[in-house]
Amino acid sequence: MSAVDLDLLQGTLDLLILKTLTWGPRHGYAVASWIRDTTDQRLQIEEGALYTALHRMEKRGWLESEWGLSDNNRRAKYYQLTSAGRKQLRAKTAVWTDYAAAVFKVLQTV
Amino acid sequence: MTRVPGLKRILRIERDRAGIERAVDDELQFHFDMTMRELMTNGMPADDARRETERRFGDFQRTRERLATIDRSRLVQERRAEWWSAFAQDFRYAVRGLRLKPGFAAAVILTLGLGIGANATMFGIVDRLLFRPPAFLIAPDRASRLYIATSNRGEENVRSYIGYRRYLDFKEMTTSFDAITPFYSNNMAIGTGDATREMEVGIGAADLWKMFAVKPVIGRFFTAAEDIPPDGSRVVVLSYAFWQTQFGGRKDVLGSTIDMGPAKYTIIGVAPEGFNGFATEPLVGFIPVSAASSSMGNPKNPWYSTYNMTWFETFARRKPGVAADAATADLSNAYQRSYKKQLEVNPRSTVFNIAKPRAFAGPVLADRGPKEGGDAKVATWLVGVAAIVLLIACANVANLLLARALRRRREIAVRIALGVSRARLLMQLATESFLLALLGGLAGLAITQWGGTIMRKALLDQSDAGPNAFTDPRLLIFCGLLAVVAGLLTGLAPLFQTGREDVSSALKAGAREGHVHRSGLRTSLLVGQAALSVVLLVGAGLFIRSLVNVQNVRMGYDAERLLWVQPRMRGVKLDSIQSAQMLRGMLQRAQTIPGVEHASRALTVPFWSTWEYSLFVAGIDSVSKLGDFTLQAATPEFFSTMGTRLLRGRAFTAADGEHAPRVMVIGQSMAKKLWPSEDAIGKCIRVNADTMPCTTVVGIAEDVRRGKISETEMHYYLPIDQFQPQGGGLFVRTTGPAAARADQVRRELQKLMPGVSYVTVTPMSTIIAPEIRSWKIGAIMFAVFGSLALVLAAIGLYSVIAYNVTQRTHEMGVRVALGAQARDVIQLIVREGLRIVIPGVVLGAIIALVAGKWVAPLLFDVSPTDPPVLVSVIVILVAVAVAASWIPATRAARVDPNEALRAD
Repeated sequence: MSAVDLDLLQGTLDLLILKTLTWGPRHGYAVASWIRDTTDQRLQIEEGALYTALHRMEKRGWLESEWGLSDNNRRAKYYQLTSAGRKQLRAKTAVWTDYAAAVFKVLQTV
Repeated sequence: MTRVPGLKRILRIERDRAGIERAVDDELQFHFDMTMRELMTNGMPADDARRETERRFGDFQRTRERLATIDRSRLVQERRAEWWSAFAQDFRYAVRGLRLKPGFAAAVILTLGLGIGANATMFGIVDRLLFRPPAFLIAPDRASRLYIATSNRGEENVRSYIGYRRYLDFKEMTTSFDAITPFYSNNMAIGTGDATREMEVGIGAADLWKMFAVKPVIGRFFTAAEDIPPDGSRVVVLSYAFWQTQFGGRKDVLGSTIDMGPAKYTIIGVAPEGFNGFATEPLVGFIPVSAASSSMGNPKNPWYSTYNMTWFETFARRKPGVAADAATADLSNAYQRSYKKQLEVNPRSTVFNIAKPRAFAGPVLADRGPKEGGDAKVATWLVGVAAIVLLIACANVANLLLARALRRRREIAVRIALGVSRARLLMQLATESFLLALLGGLAGLAITQWGGTIMRKALLDQSDAGPNAFTDPRLLIFCGLLAVVAGLLTGLAPLFQTGREDVSSALKAGAREGHVHRSGLRTSLLVGQAALSVVLLVGAGLFIRSLVNVQNVRMGYDAERLLWVQPRMRGVKLDSIQSAQMLRGMLQRAQTIPGVEHASRALTVPFWSTWEYSLFVAGIDSVSKLGDFTLQAATPEFFSTMGTRLLRGRAFTAADGEHAPRVMVIGQSMAKKLWPSEDAIGKCIRVNADTMPCTTVVGIAEDVRRGKISETEMHYYLPIDQFQPQGGGLFVRTTGPAAARADQVRRELQKLMPGVSYVTVTPMSTIIAPEIRSWKIGAIMFAVFGSLALVLAAIGLYSVIAYNVTQRTHEMGVRVALGAQARDVIQLIVREGLRIVIPGVVLGAIIALVAGKWVAPLLFDVSPTDPPVLVSVIVILVAVAVAASWIPATRAARVDPNEALRAD
């Protein structure tokens, strides 16, 4: 299994979390699982860093949190995008796509 | 994972430290449990699953702490944001409320503005007199003004003025000080020709510059080498303001000369802006004391070696670590040694054991020291008065706010019922009163800026603009504090009222029910206001009577019709004979000027200068033990010029010339003192030495006040031709008010002055003005503040009565319907007003009587319990109370019963 160290791509974690939350409120475990499943476990995310990112983005007002009940009826903290968070996501996506395209273009040059 | 349908909120978001940590732990616990379960579901053994979970998570403890830290700071941030948004909301609400009622807002802001402005103005003045050290002074706590004290006839006489010889002794004999300098300011003629102006010049030694943290803007300060007796160097350091106004701030002034007093001075530097030495009045510049004093004294007794002349105050700075007591002991010791030296040169001085000389280092500010001026005392009183005005203003505003709170009772009840928390509601009301207070504070600043200029002129006798109220940090802080206090005071009353609000009864009640009950708080505020108004008005009455008494007191001369003419020599040195000749010429010319009734030469000027000689009378052991006797030397027209009445005997005549037998006229109280049971006329007094020939008393004049306005002096008159040296000037008596003639007289007499010499003409009333200023200020300020208080109290009473009448319209309707006459209704309402005011008047009268003994020393010939003042104040207050209730009363009497009963 080839895994990428996410530290190499700063700010990417924020972007992934924001994207994950576009489908509705999730708790931290769900966010972690979703990212792992979606990327076929190719991104190695330290879960401590994931939680730190969640809390930091909550402080910045991109997310808001609420305690709810999970599938198996346990108390869990759910995160949800705020409108500021959505705006962030749009902006970051655009930047990231441009960036990726640029890098890709360089790599494609023979 | 998918979203949970219908998210259920179990707990509110954690709001405290412990809650935050618990929440972080809960969240992470959930994560661990879920991960473990998933791994174990996939067939991993429990131990491996735990290890894997921990591995995936990373540093658990660090993350946990980091999360808690982030959440805590988020909480703080949220709370702050909430508070601000609540505040912003309250603020908007308050602004809207005030804009809806501009009249109410203006009344409150103006009332508070007057109260705050009055206080800030007085603070500015008292600050200057009592608190604020001179600008740039280094270590104000170690700087002192030096005082000396000697005893005479069992009474200790404290002085701050000393002479150069004494200063030198102090400088040599003390070890406690690292800087010591004379300082005084003198009026000098600055410039030449028509541009000549009399302006104040600061005079000191080189140590002056050591006491202040100042550097010259351009050039340099003068040095000790330029301040060596007898003449020093004629160099001047200009003040920044003078440099700017007279020289436009040009750098090339250095090295040029300027005419100052009798000589030309070379400009060597410019002091920084705002530097004024120890002086309070604006100065032109600073010159060495040796240069300023070079023309003083006489060759036999030069100014720098005599102990007999005193003309400046001395300032010194203690070395670091030297206690004030130690410095005083050191200084006292120096003065005692200096006094012994004085006795060697001057054996006639009071013997050491009787004089008991001592000295001490007092506060730099004169009004904090033992020679506190009357102005500072009055100003301190006025601070109290201003505080009372502010209290009254606050009471009034509180009353207005209360009335509003009562009117808004239903609105408030609705909001409480809608779930607005009480704390939030109180916060909102508080925001409103603080907004009002803040605006009041701003209005106060404006009033300070405007009123302060007037007051400074009246109280400090200063023409400079003084600190700008809007930029002076001390004034701003003071105003801010006052606004906060006012906000608290005025906000509290409505808050109490709101805190007590019973929601359901307020909601149920119509306008008619429930709150006809008079508010006890509002009534007691009014009682307090009335009491304070009485106190202030009694003060006003006492000071006005004092002022009238002072102005009507028989001075012994007609100040309003007198001009003092003083020739000022410059560039010419006249000997005694030439000087007498010139004065004789000026006298002749003065008598021919139209509008001049009489003129006379005179040696000294009341309140400005005195001359004393030892007197010897046969049969009296020591005349000097009987008191101080001051003399005037004058020409025969003196008594008719001054308007001083001759009680018995004769005045001088032209026959009492230089070689004629010596004669004198003495004052009544002097005659009584020297010969209590005999006729003074014909008696012999030897002047200056007991070897002198007899001077025969030929007349007795009325007593004059010339040193203190509160007491007459023992005074005598000698013909000027029989007196040496012949200096002085002229008194001119005009037909009308003297001040109007001053310029004409100056122009006429100026024609006689040789070279660039000139004359100054000063109305006697100007000379006396500072003496009666403290009463004038007291009278004006108490009257202003008192009337302000009265108006405020009247408005307060009016608004309360008017409000009550509105609330009782229904009751009035019933009364009228039942046959009450208009007169009955009016009586009812007016009586209600009096019921509030009379206890206040009684209370105020008691306070005034008790406080009276403290003001007594400031009054002139009036008892602090003066019955006419007290009675008239009471009458005024009752009359105002009747008037204030009369308008609402007549409105109540016009109530149409039909309408009143049908309404609501």
